[in-house]
Amino acid sequence: MLSMQNISMVYRADLVETHALREFSLEVKEGEFVSVTGPSGSGKTTFLNIAGLLEQFTDGRYELDGRDVSALTDSECSAVRNEKIGFVFQSFNLIPDLNLFDNVDVPLRYRGFNSAERKRRIEKVLETVGLASRMKHLPSQLSGGQQQRVAIARALAGEPRFLLADEPTGNLDSQMALSVMELISEINRSGTTIIMVTHDPVLAEMASRNVHILDGRVSNGDQETTAEPLLSQVATA
Amino acid sequence: MEIGPIWRAMMRNKTGAILIALQIAVTMAIMVNAISIMQEKDRMMSRPSGLDEHNLFSIASVGFAKDFNERVTIEEDLAALRAMPGIVNAIQSNAVPLSGSGWSMGLQTEPGAEIDGTGVGLYFVDEHGLDTYGVNLLAGENFSASDVAWRERAATEWPDKTIITRAMAEAMFPDDWASALGKTVYIADTQPITITGIVEKMQGSWPGWDGFERVMLVPTHTLFGATVYLIRTEPGMRDSVMPQVEELLADRNKDRIVRSMRSMDEIRERSYRSESSMIKILTFTIVLLIAITSLGIVGLASFSVNRRTRQIGTRRALGASKLVILRYFMTENFIISLGGVLLGAALTVGLNILMIETFSLTRITWYLVPVAMLLLLAVGQIAVFGPARRASSVPPAVATRTV
Repeated sequence: MLSMQNISMVYRADLVETHALREFSLEVKEGEFVSVTGPSGSGKTTFLNIAGLLEQFTDGRYELDGRDVSALTDSECSAVRNEKIGFVFQSFNLIPDLNLFDNVDVPLRYRGFNSAERKRRIEKVLETVGLASRMKHLPSQLSGGQQQRVAIARALAGEPRFLLADEPTGNLDSQMALSVMELISEINRSGTTIIMVTHDPVLAEMASRNVHILDGRVSNGDQETTAEPLLSQVATA
Repeated sequence: MEIGPIWRAMMRNKTGAILIALQIAVTMAIMVNAISIMQEKDRMMSRPSGLDEHNLFSIASVGFAKDFNERVTIEEDLAALRAMPGIVNAIQSNAVPLSGSGWSMGLQTEPGAEIDGTGVGLYFVDEHGLDTYGVNLLAGENFSASDVAWRERAATEWPDKTIITRAMAEAMFPDDWASALGKTVYIADTQPITITGIVEKMQGSWPGWDGFERVMLVPTHTLFGATVYLIRTEPGMRDSVMPQVEELLADRNKDRIVRSMRSMDEIRERSYRSESSMIKILTFTIVLLIAITSLGIVGLASFSVNRRTRQIGTRRALGASKLVILRYFMTENFIISLGGVLLGAALTVGLNILMIETFSLTRITWYLVPVAMLLLLAVGQIAVFGPARRASSVPPAVATRTV
C-alpha cells in the first residue's frame, strides 16, 4: 500500500541545512491503522507531508498503491491526492465561508463528479458522521468536534484508499477527541488504511501499530499496539 | 466550474467585492460618457471644410501711416501675389474660415425687420474667391470682376449678388435646396440680394456655431484699414512660398505691417485646440481610472490571497491543481467584474441621460456599452492574473502548518 525506502528530506536555507528525515523507511499494508509519534521537530509532519504528496522529498523511493510517485508532476500529485488520499488536519481546515455541504463538495468537484453523484456522496458521508441535518450550517456554527467530523466526512467523500490524519484530536477536548477517534477507528474497520500522526501516546496506542520517529528516523521498529483496551481508557478518562 | 460555491462564499464576505464592483461601474459610466464626448469632439474636428486646406495660408496687412492708400495697396498686393511663382490664386477678405473671427448676417426670404432671418457666416471676396478657396461650385456661376464693389467700414449698402453654400440653401429652402439659385433674398432686413451660385461646402469662422456650414460670399473688397489675404499655392509649395510672401508684402509697402501669417493647418489646429485638449484630458482620465480600478482589483485579490493562504493550501491538499486555483481567483474576479459592468451599463445610460438634459450632449453610440463591458472584464482578468498566479503557487504543505 505505502512503501518508503530510505527517504531523506533536507531543508536548505542559506547556509543552513536541516535534515528532517534521514533514510526513513516504512511499509504500511492495506487496511492497517498506523500511528506515528515523536517529539516536536522529530519529522512527523515532514513524513506526513511526503506520505500525502504535499511535499517532494530529497532522496529515496516512495511507492503508493504500487506506483512510484517520486517523479510525479505537480498536477499528477494533485490528482493522486484527490483520488487516493483523504486528509484530516489538526485545525480542521474547513473553509469558513462555505457551508458543510460545500465544504465536503470541494474535493469532489476537483474529481469531476457530476452534481447528482456529488450530492449522493455528500449526504452519505455527512450521514455517516452524524451531521446530515446540519449541512447548510457554516463551520463557525459547529463545535470543534463537529468541525473535525465534517473534515473527516470531506476526507471520506472521495472514498480514498488511505486516510492521513495530522493530530486529528489536537484541538479537541477529551470527550470530543474520543468521539473523533471512535469514528476514525470505525473508518479503519471498514477497510480504509489510516496513518495518524500524534504526539499523544494514549491515542497512538489505539492504532494497530505505532511508529516512533526521532531525529528523522524510525526509532522503535514497528511496535504492535493493543487498541481496544486503550480506547476504553480514553473513554473513562 | 465552481461558480456556485464562489458566489456563496463571496456573499458571506462581500464588502470588498461590492466596493470593487462599484468602482468598476463608476469607471465604466465615466469612461463610456467620456468616450462619447471624445467621439463628438472628433466628429466636430473631422468635418471637411470644403477648402484646399493643405495649400492655403493667410497673412494680415494693417496700414498705419497717415497717407496709407489701402485700395491701391490691396490692388497691387493682389496683382503681385497672383503673379508670384508657386501661387495658384489669392484674395483679400474680411476673415478666414475656422479662425474664430468673422462676420455674420441674417438672410430672409421676405423683407421686413420683423421677420427672423437665417444666420449665415459672411466672407467678402472677389471673382478669385472660389478658385482660391478651392471650393466646388454646384450650381450657378462665379462672380465677375464687374460685380466686385469696394466697401468702407461704415457702409450699409450691399451688392446685389451672393453665392451661398448648399447648407445655407437647405436651411432657407428646405424642400428643394437647388431652387435657391436665382432666388432673391433679403439682407439687413430689406436689401434684396440674388443667389447666383451654390457651392458644395464651406465653413464659417466659428466651429462651435450650429450654423457653421451656412456661408455666403459677397463680391466686395473691404477698406477697413486692416485686411487679410488668403493665398492658395501649388500643391506642396505652401511652406516654401509663405516666407517669400511675407517678405514680398513687407518690402512692397512700408506704410503697413504684415503679421499673423498662418497656414490653414495651423488655423485649424488653433481653432480646435480646446477640443483636442479635451480629448487628451479625457483620454488621460480614462487611462487613470482604468489604472486605479486595476490597482483596486490587484489590491483586493492580493488581500484575498494573503487572507486565504491556508485555505488555498488546503484546497491544493484536497486535490486542486495549480490551474484550478488560478481559475478560482480568475472566476471570482470575473463574477465581481460582471456585476460591476452590469451595474456600470445602467449607470452609463443614466449618466448619459443626465448629460443630455444638462449639457445637451449627444446620446452615446450603442456599441460603446458592450465594448466597455468587454474591455473592463478583460482589464479585471489581466489585473487579477498576478495575484491569482501567486495563489496558485501556494504549496499544498501549507495545509499542515499550524502557524
